[in-house]
Amino acid sequence: MNIEIKNLSKSFGEVSVLKNISMNIKDKKSTIILGKSGCGKSVLLKIIYQLINCDEGEVFYGKNKEIDIDTFGMLFQYGALFDSLTVAQNIAFIDHINGITSYKNKVLLSMKDVGLDSINYDKFPSEISGGMKKRVALARAIYKNPKVIFLDEPTTGLDPINSDMINELILRIIKKKKMTAITITHDIQSALKTGDEFFFINDGIVECHGNCSEMLKIKNLKLDEFLAGVKKLQKTR
Amino acid sequence: MDFIEKIGKIFFYLIFSIGKIIHFIFFFFKYSFKPKFYLKNNLKYFVDIFISSIPIIALTGFFSGMVLALQSYTGFSRFSAESAIPNIVVLTLTRELGPVLTALMISARVGSSIAAEIATMRVTEQIDALKTLNTNFYNYLVTPRVLSLTLALPIFVTLVDFIGVMGGYIVSVFRLGFNENIYLMNTLNFLSFTDYFSGIVKASIFGFIIAIVSCYNGLYSGKGSFGVGTATTNAVVTSSILILIFNYILTELFF
Repeated sequence: MNIEIKNLSKSFGEVSVLKNISMNIKDKKSTIILGKSGCGKSVLLKIIYQLINCDEGEVFYGKNKEIDIDTFGMLFQYGALFDSLTVAQNIAFIDHINGITSYKNKVLLSMKDVGLDSINYDKFPSEISGGMKKRVALARAIYKNPKVIFLDEPTTGLDPINSDMINELILRIIKKKKMTAITITHDIQSALKTGDEFFFINDGIVECHGNCSEMLKIKNLKLDEFLAGVKKLQKTR
Repeated sequence: MDFIEKIGKIFFYLIFSIGKIIHFIFFFFKYSFKPKFYLKNNLKYFVDIFISSIPIIALTGFFSGMVLALQSYTGFSRFSAESAIPNIVVLTLTRELGPVLTALMISARVGSSIAAEIATMRVTEQIDALKTLNTNFYNYLVTPRVLSLTLALPIFVTLVDFIGVMGGYIVSVFRLGFNENIYLMNTLNFLSFTDYFSGIVKASIFGFIIAIVSCYNGLYSGKGSFGVGTATTNAVVTSSILILIFNYILTELFF
């Protein structure tokens, strides 16, 4: 499903976070929304998911204006796992709260998909590591087989090894399940690894966009500043 | 000018807050009667708060009854009206102290935990996660809490009434030398169904107030641990004040 965003604006009090943003997110592609911390990426994601309302503008999901929440999944920045429920109950939340108890095999399959050992099945979120929490959150997001998945800073708070593992995992899952993925990140390595297309947001506007494979070649002052760190790193190598 | 401006701001803040809480109550009623009901979740929550609150409720009732008997004796003995002590204990407990003290204790014990739990869920994006999982916040979090407290408070008050009367009985019989049969007879003879009923109605309304105020404060909490702390404090303070105000209004109605 294509997602089209038209002239979207959002302010909090007197602070204008998003200014007249338009973008087209293509079906079955991995789109990266890139930008500095605090530039409004997460707000944009939540508006697209209809978790918060925008002040102006429209979002079209295919031809519809209303979101079909069952066809969407989301991985939150810090997992947003329900801490009073076990790993299994978190993953199969929809079934669990509706009194369906026969979800064990499906949960174990989801856990296998995200590389989680079955030993964690009955553990609580407080008993597992940060990397594992991300995996559980990812397993929960894909449990209902969504057509579109939103990933909010999937590598935040993880060490480089775990970040790389999560990136690999995301890439594998979105290719395997043929999902449309929208990833919010300021981690360029993650963007280059998992993205097909990117939109760079700066000061509430789309500064530039293009293919991720050409991101490092695009000439844009703001993007150059943002990428400076990465280019410098590549030079030293 | 500065002073008037501040008063104006406070006034508008109050109006805005009242509007928000009415909006919240409206949505509670709107979603409470719509599927999905999550019966298992409702029942589990009811059992949880019921079991965890019994000890504190029992202690409140027992000591209130004992103190009431002692204090009444101090006053009534001056007019040689000691025989009225059983009536005073039972009437004060069923009509007044039972519902109010129970509600204040439950506000501190359960209301604070509701506000803290929902505020933490808000801060850690769990409320947003519920929405992405096609789960209505009112159905899943608010309805079980409001229903549980509205139904549990009358049961708690009945328990407090009974244990309180027993506390008064123990002090009166073993400390003040009352005849045990006469004490119990006077207690039962002077207690009417209206006395008990007015306390039960009060309890139910107090339960509703505690749950709504606590859920509301949790949902509209600020950010971070400070936000969670403030939401918890606001929930307890606001519900305590509302309990006292509504206690007067309801007492007038049952007068």
